[in-house]
Amino acid sequence: MSEFDVMPGNKAVAHGVRLARVEVIPIFPITPQTTIVEYLGEFIANGELDAEYIQSEGEHTCMGMAVGASLAGARTFTATCSQGLAYMHEVVAQAPSYRTPIVMAIADRTLGWYWSLGPDYSDIMPELNLGWLVNFAESNQECLDMVLQLYKIAEDRRVLLPSMLSLDGFYLSYSYERVGIPDQELVDGFLPPYEAPYPVDPTISDRWPSAGIPPPLHTTYRRLFEEVMEDAKRVIAEVDAEFGEVFGRSYGGLIEKYRCDDADAVLVTMGSMTTAARRAVDRLRAEGERVGLVKLRFMRPFPTAEFREIAGEVDAIGVVDRVVLHGTGGGSAFADVKSALYSLEDRPKVMNFVTGLGGEDIPIDDLVAMGRKVLRVASTGRLEKEVEFIEHPLPKGAEPIRLDEEMPIYPGSDGCAGCGSSIIIRHLLKILGPNTVIVNPPSCSGVNYSGVVRVPWILANYAAAAGYETGIYRAFKHKGKADKIYVTGFSGDGGTVDIGLQAISGAAERGESMMWVCYDNEAYMNTGIQRSSSTPLFAATTSTPAGTVWKGKPQKRKNMILIMAAHRIPYIATASLAYLPDLERKIRKAAEVTRSGKGMAYLHIQQPCATGWYFPPEKTVEVGRLAVQTGAWPLLEIEDGVLRLNVKPRKLKPIEEYLKLQRRFRHLSKEQIAAIQREVDKDWKSWLALEKMGKLPWY
Amino acid sequence: MVVVDRTKKGGQYVGNWRTYMPEVDYERCTACLLCAMYCPEAAITANEEGKPEVDLRFCKGCGVCANECPVKAIRMVKEE
Repeated sequence: MSEFDVMPGNKAVAHGVRLARVEVIPIFPITPQTTIVEYLGEFIANGELDAEYIQSEGEHTCMGMAVGASLAGARTFTATCSQGLAYMHEVVAQAPSYRTPIVMAIADRTLGWYWSLGPDYSDIMPELNLGWLVNFAESNQECLDMVLQLYKIAEDRRVLLPSMLSLDGFYLSYSYERVGIPDQELVDGFLPPYEAPYPVDPTISDRWPSAGIPPPLHTTYRRLFEEVMEDAKRVIAEVDAEFGEVFGRSYGGLIEKYRCDDADAVLVTMGSMTTAARRAVDRLRAEGERVGLVKLRFMRPFPTAEFREIAGEVDAIGVVDRVVLHGTGGGSAFADVKSALYSLEDRPKVMNFVTGLGGEDIPIDDLVAMGRKVLRVASTGRLEKEVEFIEHPLPKGAEPIRLDEEMPIYPGSDGCAGCGSSIIIRHLLKILGPNTVIVNPPSCSGVNYSGVVRVPWILANYAAAAGYETGIYRAFKHKGKADKIYVTGFSGDGGTVDIGLQAISGAAERGESMMWVCYDNEAYMNTGIQRSSSTPLFAATTSTPAGTVWKGKPQKRKNMILIMAAHRIPYIATASLAYLPDLERKIRKAAEVTRSGKGMAYLHIQQPCATGWYFPPEKTVEVGRLAVQTGAWPLLEIEDGVLRLNVKPRKLKPIEEYLKLQRRFRHLSKEQIAAIQREVDKDWKSWLALEKMGKLPWY
Repeated sequence: MVVVDRTKKGGQYVGNWRTYMPEVDYERCTACLLCAMYCPEAAITANEEGKPEVDLRFCKGCGVCANECPVKAIRMVKEE
């Protein structure tokens, strides 16, 4: 017996993970993967899954956690995509040699070069050749089922390799389909608990995996891995067959053939485009055309034997690729199919269609046209153009409204109504003026304001933003222009206190004379309100939801001001969008400090967020003001080591006045509110004590 | 190379986001311009009398101006 529900692909993956009784789940948010781990957070928050849920501060660490957990013998899951997968790459490469059967969902999204949230396979293809099994799902049901299958395949002693489950961002991740949820009892029978052969657990094992071998063994081990990959092909087929017997659904193993009988030509597709390709083949078949479809389910191990068999049956193969391997002229699957067939005596013609890049839809009509082209090649035996790029004209967008006055930032934006970071960026640029370069790691502000600013706005990679900024600053310094241009990091809290911290710390310690402005909305708002290490105590976020087991974020926020003070930089300040004269004075001060070459100036500005803190948009400034008046967000500055509190109410308002305006705190019990009040009081006293010291002792 | 030309930039039309629009009572208004300072979209500028004027092309109707006005001279009214 199965239950059915209608759900997005990301939820189907999460159900698979829940049913697999995964034990450790390290996470980091990135669109369009994030809701996978949000659904998992909900399951855990409500006691439906018992797992360690680790909110990492960046993907590189996240993958390290996954490898560590798997080494220690736990069934482990994580998920990412795009920039996140690229940032993981080093650790992704390490996982196979430790033989860690991790399952990782990749909600595919274009890897920047040019940014897009939409899916293509530029993120997953660079990871193909590292020793992971790589599977592509077509439907939400397949997503759920493949989580279960992949654990069974990956944990098989003949395989013991990590595996990626690719689901197309948006087309699967966010699209709703009917999905059957198998019974837990059936799943438990199919997928027994994971027992690592050599866990790094000295209490039960005297042997454990090593990644250190001498060079002469490398070739041998690489060959052995290829043999394991061959074994994996058999295991993939076996597991799919067993899955079919138990659950009544199976997918065909490495490939699935659709209407290939007596075909003269076939299209090869992968992922969600396959469904459209099925309809295209149906249409062509109805017209009497002899065309079939091959769904490429596993890119690694690659179905070489299967393609050689198909090659003996057809005259032409048309491979549809949602990626281009620059410098080769075509796509990834195309290259693999061609190389698999080259040593055959009689080879069919192989052609390539590159399309759907950046997340563009691949419509049925296009696939029908591709089918006709492959059929023509089959019938004529002539291949005039090996690779075709299927392109569409750009729909016309809205023109900007020209204004008489020139300003560093124009009115209007894509931000939410009442957006606080909009207030901050406008005042920042009003003071810094047009000779400013903004370096901006991924955040709401890049999406919303880069389009209306008139200064260079560099979208920087998350962990490297302070690196971009340093490079720009040093180039100007070398050219003798550092005092004429303000180089300014403008980042959310995630890009500052979490994933960006290492690069910021490096720049501060080296004394780079540039500004870093953190607008702190106390969570990852751009990906949909996940906790950051700046999220305050007990706040509910989508990765720390309030449920029957969880009651919001259990930790206090990181004290970034003291971390920056530990670098002894010349100017550090907190600010609030509700106290604009104070904010503007601090921006001027920071500009003056950096212009004089004294070192880094760090501004940390609280930004109440109507969307993520759940209050009505007109209350943005009011909430900010209450944060200062209750002591939740003290306004202070540290100038050459001298700490001063800028706003000192005679008596702080009770914290409840601040909390009750925000729905992220509505689950709080009386005890929790009292605990927050105690923490606020303690922090306030600590700041007063530091102020009394005159100069902080390590300056 | 995709190139951004800053001389070609301008404001972004967001007038169609709005459900409620701000209505200024100029009798009551003291021309403090806090509304303009706090407006997230920079949709408010000073007119010849130094009093706020909302460019509705850039107003999303968030209501921050009305909420922050110290003399309650701005009212959010439902748009037809």
